[in-house]
Amino acid sequence: MSATSVEQVTKKTEDLSIDGNKKTVLNAASTADKEFELKHPLNTQWTLWYTKPKVDNTEDWSSLLRPVTKLSTVEEFWGVYQSIPKASELPLKSDYHLFRNDIRPEWEDDKNAKGGKWTFQINDSDRALLDELWLKVVLSAIGETLDENDVAINGVVFNMRKKVVKLAIWTNTCDKEVLTKIGLKFRAIIGAILNNKKSIESQTEEEKQGEKPEHQPIEFKLEFIKHADSENRKIPPFMIL
Amino acid sequence: MSIIRYTEEELLTLKPSAVIPTGFDHQEFSRLVAKVTEILALRAEEYERQHPNGSFNRRRSSHHHVRPKIHKNKPKILTDSDGWSTLENNVGGERRKSSIVADDVVKSKVRENIVNETVKIKPNNKNIGSSRPADTRDIIADKQTITFNAFSALESDDEED
Repeated sequence: MSATSVEQVTKKTEDLSIDGNKKTVLNAASTADKEFELKHPLNTQWTLWYTKPKVDNTEDWSSLLRPVTKLSTVEEFWGVYQSIPKASELPLKSDYHLFRNDIRPEWEDDKNAKGGKWTFQINDSDRALLDELWLKVVLSAIGETLDENDVAINGVVFNMRKKVVKLAIWTNTCDKEVLTKIGLKFRAIIGAILNNKKSIESQTEEEKQGEKPEHQPIEFKLEFIKHADSENRKIPPFMIL
Repeated sequence: MSIIRYTEEELLTLKPSAVIPTGFDHQEFSRLVAKVTEILALRAEEYERQHPNGSFNRRRSSHHHVRPKIHKNKPKILTDSDGWSTLENNVGGERRKSSIVADDVVKSKVRENIVNETVKIKPNNKNIGSSRPADTRDIIADKQTITFNAFSALESDDEED
């Protein structure tokens, strides 16, 4: 080793000396440095995709569908959720897709091919609830509470269209037992939000009229369509809840 | 391997500790969405300008609305036993109400004219084409109704004069 190199090594060693002020995993709590804060990992990594509306005739589907970012922790999810446009702010013909790992939000993806999707169409009168509905569905997906037994959920989708707004849960299976459980959970999430809105409206009406109106649960329908049947609209839904 | 689960409440409590993933430029993404929104809004505005009041230069839909009545009711034609056809003026019992309020006198005159006015038209084609005479009154006119009676002529008063 040459003299010069010894000097360099000595210098580097000095640089490497432990600095009491530098933050480590052990003292992260006291310094409140977010970089070292304990994060809450998600069960799997999720990828947020965005479908851009077509604004140019040269654009094709593959160029419109883009991965936005990957999420591995609960903290990252909230960071992304709070920094991107809300679902209700998306332009028409846009979609948000949150899919597990590297699964593409396409029927053709091998992980999706044997599955299908539970779909809920949001009425015009309930458009004010778009963001709440989407958030609750996303939380139940990343929190793995939609499917208690297995990992049958591949992703969740939000479609913003002029006439209809849809929420969908994509599964990797068409097993009726599994689908029923997922569908009932999906239904419970939506029903809670819609009925809560109705309850608030009824209370307001009650205050106006001085009467106690009857609270009847809102009726709505969920449809499950197999991806294999998606192209043929004449085929009725595989399941309805 | 156990599944890591979070309830909705647990996830919501972690909201304040949000962190943006490294390498994700959220501003660039937001700009992209804003740009697309702007382009679509401009297109919608331009389209609205080209098609004011919702006119789309499209042909009238044939199944969404009641079709306008283009052909008026044909006058009812009454044909009598002689084969003469007459136009009946007051078709449908009631005349269409006018939005213009006219004097009662003028109205009644018009009504009288309508009632009195009968239009005679040519007989039915079936009568013309058939071997039957078109007008039975013509038969009467052509027919020699008074036959010459020689005995009556002899007894005529003219000769007595």
